[in-house]
Amino acid sequence: MSLHKVEPAEASDDFAIQTFNLTKIFNRLVAVDGIELNIKKGELFALLGPNGAGKTTAINMLCCLLKPTGGTATVMGYDINRQPFKIKELIGVSPQETVISERLNCWENLSLIGKIHGVNARELKIRSQQLLETIGLTGRAKDQVRKFSGGMKRRLNVMMALIHNPEVLFLDEPTLGLDPQARRAIWEYIVRLKGEKTILLTTHYMDEADFLADRIGIMDEGKIVTLGTSTELKTSMLEKHTMIIYAWNLTQKVINEMRSRYAEVEVTNGTMIITDKQLDFKEIVDRLHSSGAVIRSAYIKEPTLDDVFLHITGKELRE
Amino acid sequence: MRFLELASRNLKETYRDPLALGFLLGFPLLFMLLFGAIFSGDSIPNYSIGVIDGDGTPLSHSFIDEVLTEVPTLEVANYDDTATARKDLKFGDLRAYIVIPQGFGEQVSQNWEGKETNITLDITYDESDIMTSEQIISIINTVTRSFARIEIPVTINANPIHIETEITFIDFMGPGIIVFGLLILIPTSARIMVSDKEKGFLSRLLTTPARPLDFISGYSLCLVVIAIIQIVIFIAASWGFGMDIVGSLWLAFLIFLLTGLCSIGIGMVVASLSKNENQAEPLCWLFAMPLAMLSGCWFSIEMLPSYLRIIAYAFPYAHTIESARAVLIRGVGLEAISSDFLFLIGWAVVIFAIGIILFRRSMRS
Ligand SMILES: Nc1ncnc2c1ncn2[C@@H]1O[C@H](COP(=O)(O)OP(=O)(O)OP(=O)(O)O)[C@@H](O)[C@H]1O
Ligand SMILES: [Mg+2]
Repeated sequence: MSLHKVEPAEASDDFAIQTFNLTKIFNRLVAVDGIELNIKKGELFALLGPNGAGKTTAINMLCCLLKPTGGTATVMGYDINRQPFKIKELIGVSPQETVISERLNCWENLSLIGKIHGVNARELKIRSQQLLETIGLTGRAKDQVRKFSGGMKRRLNVMMALIHNPEVLFLDEPTLGLDPQARRAIWEYIVRLKGEKTILLTTHYMDEADFLADRIGIMDEGKIVTLGTSTELKTSMLEKHTMIIYAWNLTQKVINEMRSRYAEVEVTNGTMIITDKQLDFKEIVDRLHSSGAVIRSAYIKEPTLDDVFLHITGKELRE
Repeated sequence: MRFLELASRNLKETYRDPLALGFLLGFPLLFMLLFGAIFSGDSIPNYSIGVIDGDGTPLSHSFIDEVLTEVPTLEVANYDDTATARKDLKFGDLRAYIVIPQGFGEQVSQNWEGKETNITLDITYDESDIMTSEQIISIINTVTRSFARIEIPVTINANPIHIETEITFIDFMGPGIIVFGLLILIPTSARIMVSDKEKGFLSRLLTTPARPLDFISGYSLCLVVIAIIQIVIFIAASWGFGMDIVGSLWLAFLIFLLTGLCSIGIGMVVASLSKNENQAEPLCWLFAMPLAMLSGCWFSIEMLPSYLRIIAYAFPYAHTIESARAVLIRGVGLEAISSDFLFLIGWAVVIFAIGIILFRRSMRS
C-alpha cells in the first residue's frame, strides 16, 4: 500500500484535489461545513461517515454537479466554479445511486460514457472487455441491464466511471449492496489503480477503508473530524486500552478495588470491562485471582476503525 | 458527436420499450379504427342522387320511377339539365347524379329480346368522397342489372369531378388522426426527458463533458425521428383507409413535422417545469386533451364558439389540420397556406427557444 511517499507537499501541483472552506447549505441545513482537504495525486482517500454526514454532497460539488454555497475547490488545478468542463473531462464518477440506462446492454452503457468522453472505438472495445471481465459480466454483456440483479447493476455502475480511463475517480459507496466476492473483485481492481489514479471514495465499511485507503477522513455533520492513515487513526486510540475479562465469583470488594484504580470499570453478568490509558494485564489478572475469582478468559482489545469511529462521532456506522 | 450518441441512446431506450411504442403508434391507430368503424359501419345511409333522363322513353321512365326510387338507400330527385344537378352536387345537396343517355330504353329492350347490347349510364360524383361514391355506383350497378336482366355488368361511365366541400369522414380521419398522434408526442417528449432527470441519469451524464446543448439536441433529434416515423405511418394508414391524397405529400409532411416540433417544444417546457414523471404526465395531458378538442381533430372547429376558436388558433394544431386538409384533399400549394405555414414555423421556433432556456436552467439546479 505504500506506492508513494506520504510527505506533505507545498506546491499545489502535487495535489489532485484541494478544497478551500468548501461549504454547502440547503435552505439552512449545513450539509458540508467548510471542509479543507488536500488530496495528493495518486492518493486513495476514503471519506468515512454516518448517514447524512455530507459525503455525497461534498463529492457532488467536486464533480461540478452542485454549486457550493461558499468556498471553492480545485480538481487537477481547475476551479470547480470557473472551469467545470475542464474538470469533467478528467474525472470518472460512480454515483451512490445506481444509475444506468435500463434498456441498453452492458456494452452500450459503457460505450455511451466512453464515446461522450471521445474514446475511440478500438480502445473502447478493449477496455469494455477488460472491465466486464473484472466484474464477471462478460457472459451477460449483451443483455439489457434492466434484467440484471441489483448487485450486477451496481458493478456496472462502478465500471461506467472507469471506461474512459479518467485521472481522478469519485466512487460514492462503490461496493454498496455487493456480495463478498464481488466486493473483493472491485477492491482488487481499485488496488491496481492505486498510485496511478487519484481516488476519492466514500464508504460505510471500515474494512473497505482499512484495506483500500492511503488516508481516511472521518466526516460528521458536514465537518472532517479526523484525518489520517488507518494506523494513525488506530494509534490515536491506543491512549485508551480496553481489557475484557470473563470470570466467575467476582466479589463486590474486588470490583470496588478495580474502580478505585482504573478510570472505567463495567461489570455485567460475569464480564468485566476495564478501560484506561494504561493497563497492566498481569497485575489485573493477579489481583482478581487472589480475590478468589475464577478467570475463564481475559484479553486486551486492539482498537478497530469502528472503535475510532464510535469514539469520535458517538455514532455507529451503518452496515 | 456527443449529441448523436445521446440521441441514439434515447432512441434505443424508446424503441425497446414496447409500452411506450404501443402508446405512440397504437393509441392514434386505435382511434383511426374506431372512427373508421363509426363512419363506415352498417348504419343505413341515405344518399341523395340526381337523375337526368336523356332518353325519355317509357322504359327509362319506369327505370327511374319503379326501380331507382324504390331503392331504400337512395333519395332520387329529377333534374332537367346537368348544369343544375352539377350545382347541387357542388353545394353538397347531391352525392352524385346519373345521366341516362339516349338509347337506354332501346338497349334494354334489345337485351330482353336476347340480342347483344351495351347498356351505359353516366355517373358524376365528388371525387373527394370516395366511400360514398363507390357505394352509390355499386347500388346503381346492381339495380340496373336486375332491371335489364343481364349477366354482364353495365358500363358505368364514372365521371368524377373535384369539389371543395364540407368535412367528410376521410377529411377527418387523415389530418385529424395525424395531429392527434402528434399531440401524444407532448407527454412522450416530457416523459423521456423527465425520467432521465428523475432517475439521476441526467446527473450522471452531467459529470461528463457533454454540454447542455448536447443533451437538448440529443433528446430533440430522438424525438424528431419518432415524429417522422409517426407521420409516415399515419399518412400511410390514412391512405390505406382511403384518404385521397391530391396535393403535395412533401408539403403536408413539412406541415406535420413543424407541428411535431411544436409538440416536442411543449414537452420540453413541461419537462423543465416538473421534477418527476408524476408531475409531468398530468401536466402534459392538461395541454394535450383540450388542444385535441380545440384543434379540430375530433370535430370541426367551426362548431366552436368564437372565443374558443380564438384560443384554438393561438396554438398550432388547428392551423395544421386546416392547412394539411387544404394540401392533401384540395391540392392547394404553399401560397394558399402560407400564413398557416409561417405561423407554424414561428410557433416552433418560439416554443423551442423557451424550452431550451427552461431546460438549461432546470439542468443547472
Ligand atoms: N438536494 C438536497 N436538498 C436538501 N437537502 C439535502 C440535499 N441533498 C442532501 N441534503 C442533506 O444534506 C445532508 C448530507 O447529505 P449527503 O447525501 O451528503 O450525506 P451522505 O454523507 O452522503 O449520507 P449517506 O451515507 O446516507 O449517503 C443530509 O442531511 C441531507 O438531508
Ligand atoms: Mg451519500
